[in-house]
Amino acid sequence: MNASFLLFALLNTGFILLVSPFFMSLIKKVKASAQGRKGPRLLQSYFDLRKLLQKEVVYSPNSSGIMRITPYLNLAVLLLASLFVPIVFIPDAPAGIGNIIVFLYLLAIERFFMALCGLDAGSTFGGMGSSRLMSLSAVIEPTMVIAFAALAYVLRTMNFHEMFAITAGSTIPESPTLPLISISLFIIIIVETGRIPVDNPATHLELTMMNEAMILEQSGKNLALIELAHAVKQTILMAVLINILAPWGLATELTLAGFVVSCLYFLVKASLLAGIIGLFESSIAKMRLFRLPSFYMMAFFFSALTILMEVFA
Amino acid sequence: MLEAFIYVSFIAFISGTVLPLLCRSKNARKASFGLSLLSSILLLVFAGTVLYTGKGPTFPVFRFLPGLDFTLVADRLSAGFILLIAAVVSGVSIYSIEYVEHAKSEARKSLQASLTNLFILAMLMVVLAGNMVGFLVFWEIMSLSSLMLVLHDYSSEENKKAGLFYFIMTSLSTAFLFMGFISLFRLTDSAEFGPLDYSTNDLTLPFLCLFTGFGIKAGLVPFHKWLPYAHPAAPSSISALMSGVMLKVAIYGFLRFLLSVSAPELWWGTLILMVGSLSAVLGVIYALKESDIKRLLAYSSIENIGIIFTGIGLYLIFKLEGLQYLALLSLAGACFHAFNHALFKSLLFLCAGSVVHATGTRNIEALGGLVKSMPHTAALFLIGSVSIVGLPPTSGFVSEMMLFQAYFYSSAVPDPLLKVLLIITLSVFALTSALAATLFVKIFGITFLALPRTKCAQEAAEVPKPMLLGEAVPAAFCILSGLFSSQILNLLGFDLGIPDMLPLGLILAGACGIVWLVVRNSGPTKARISKETWGCGILAQHPTMEYSSAGFSEPLVVIFKKIYRTEISSTRTYSDTRESIFKNGTARMYLIKVFEKRLYLPVASAVSHVSSQVSRMQSGKLDTYVLYVFIAVLTLMTFTRYFA
Repeated sequence: MNASFLLFALLNTGFILLVSPFFMSLIKKVKASAQGRKGPRLLQSYFDLRKLLQKEVVYSPNSSGIMRITPYLNLAVLLLASLFVPIVFIPDAPAGIGNIIVFLYLLAIERFFMALCGLDAGSTFGGMGSSRLMSLSAVIEPTMVIAFAALAYVLRTMNFHEMFAITAGSTIPESPTLPLISISLFIIIIVETGRIPVDNPATHLELTMMNEAMILEQSGKNLALIELAHAVKQTILMAVLINILAPWGLATELTLAGFVVSCLYFLVKASLLAGIIGLFESSIAKMRLFRLPSFYMMAFFFSALTILMEVFA
Repeated sequence: MLEAFIYVSFIAFISGTVLPLLCRSKNARKASFGLSLLSSILLLVFAGTVLYTGKGPTFPVFRFLPGLDFTLVADRLSAGFILLIAAVVSGVSIYSIEYVEHAKSEARKSLQASLTNLFILAMLMVVLAGNMVGFLVFWEIMSLSSLMLVLHDYSSEENKKAGLFYFIMTSLSTAFLFMGFISLFRLTDSAEFGPLDYSTNDLTLPFLCLFTGFGIKAGLVPFHKWLPYAHPAAPSSISALMSGVMLKVAIYGFLRFLLSVSAPELWWGTLILMVGSLSAVLGVIYALKESDIKRLLAYSSIENIGIIFTGIGLYLIFKLEGLQYLALLSLAGACFHAFNHALFKSLLFLCAGSVVHATGTRNIEALGGLVKSMPHTAALFLIGSVSIVGLPPTSGFVSEMMLFQAYFYSSAVPDPLLKVLLIITLSVFALTSALAATLFVKIFGITFLALPRTKCAQEAAEVPKPMLLGEAVPAAFCILSGLFSSQILNLLGFDLGIPDMLPLGLILAGACGIVWLVVRNSGPTKARISKETWGCGILAQHPTMEYSSAGFSEPLVVIFKKIYRTEISSTRTYSDTRESIFKNGTARMYLIKVFEKRLYLPVASAVSHVSSQVSRMQSGKLDTYVLYVFIAVLTLMTFTRYFA
């Protein structure tokens, strides 16, 4: 592990941690204005996190160590995953950092422990959330893997760092199939971050909720960690899409100017994407649970189509 | 020098078999398992050395009868599987010292100890056998000793059925192996395992026979049904050995054949790949519907065997397409997954044994909350689950990642149709691994978390230390072989370019530490335990309100309802003639056992039909039988005169 990577780890992870809550609020704001409401302040998520961090944790007497470990583990896992997605500059990473399969499975760790957490307190809501989350994530998994395989296929590498180095070096998308993959990636963001039409992050209604159901029992600092982890996950996934489809401005090596430019560019692009996500959420209704597999099939077809186009081209 | 390890462990296993039979005491059983533990350590050293140096000792030829030699080989392939056997046996031996004492009678305890040793010895010798004769002899000993262990609790009706089912399937497997080996023997005139080098047309029959034979034993769909019957019937330590090791011995046999063929055909690869993928996904889908903990694990074995065969199929395809690196990657992935599955599945079966021992039930719907009464078992089970689901940095992840990586690089395959097949099987593989995660969230969550659902779960207590220690051994292997996977593979001379798990694990641990430190120093450090779980204003929480095993898998059951084929039947009676006032009735909803109904039963009834026809010839009179012999001799003479 060299010094440049250490610096990268600090800067990249720090930057992601810093800006993640902002995008959460931004999406809420966009949704609110689309619905004619005023919406929260753009810094509201930061205030919420600070407030939660100062509160004590309340555990159910039924809950076990799983409930106590998961918030810490999940945030740590996502911080590790954030090293896989360079936003500030592309470092010389040790082998294994940036591998897309490892990245997918890091997300799986988060999901696995979240689902166990939902079952831990024995609440009906939690169990319902875990059951739905695990079932639907199983159905989306082929899409995710095929979309990532398509990326690997088109860009001829299995490492995000190398992928971004390729895309950042070109002004237009490297291959005409990349926009197609981006559609799948967009759907993956929607699914993984639990947004409409898959899940409604704004409600606590048993009919609509998945993620919110699992965290009902969480409180205080633990809740803050889980919310932060969720925000980090959203930023990372957005960064993957941005760096594939619109990689302009990403610095390929470390300079102060490059770092600043990368950060600014990312902020602008991610804000745009957050706006799109907010508008997308506002323009569509929550789907019935068992309609979702067909929604996922759509994403699957886009990614499978990409590979097939490459195969037969 | 090295061969001494094999001899000593051979003697140890034999004495471990005989000792409990001679002297039915607790000490004899302890000594018996001590001997198997000792030999497993010797075998670990042996296998490690052979794997590292790549050169095994040469054994002398043992001649039983003229023309019936018995030879031993220990090359890298067999050493790899010996390592697997030894690793599992070391844990199982420690576990069994205490576990075997819970059998019903003194005789059964001793018999179980003795047969366990014999079973292990037979598996070891199958892997070491240098020719087909020895292979088949020990294969049969392995099958029969495991059959007796499956039937150890022979008084229960269910176990009798399981034993019969297992016996038929395993005999069928042996029959196919005999056919396969005989047809190989006809081609080479030699019973030795050696390079098979002849025109490919001839090998179709041996390949199909051996694939079927080994496939039955390994539990590939559609020959998988014996697993969910035999595993719940057998004692848990035996389930661990059967699922962990015996299935792998079948894979060893198949690999031994496959690797000796110099020119395999492409359709073999595609067939193996398709059957493997199908087994994997069906295994896990059927598992989701189960609520018997050992049956769940048995179905999950079918899934993992499917994954291993997927790797073998990929190996053949890539090899024939001239992609050496990918071929090596898939083969190494398949072998490593076999090793990993042996470890985490034996760990899970041992833990399941502890749970069954502590609660007296295999039904997870009746469990819950065990994490508080059995914290160590729960932690070990969690390690097994994390590993089998394939979460980094455990060993299960590394082998799955190797296969994923081979798939992702498969764009190098020139044939477009083959590419389409690879894309389809890749999505199936992804679905399988995600469903496995759901399955293990369900098993762990329903069994160990939340409130106990019944009295037996409430009264559970942690199992004795030797059992925990026996579980800890495979658990340690799972974590260590995952963390050090790249280092181990490099040491063995395979530079596969897979991500190194060690830095990942270290960074993850470091990140956990940093998060913990930062958060601990902000805000209050004490946590509060509330009175109850929040439940929308309910008065008191009751275990029946918790999510059940069936409820947990309901969404997937709905999504995959085409595969499950449930059937609903109802009968109704009415009070009036117009059938409008309902009086009473029954309704039943059950799962159609597709394979049993559509495949096994028709074959079984055809066989019993034929045999009833044959039995007509059995008159019981001596002169009739002499007549049969006479006719048979005449026919043979005519046949050899004109056709041979």
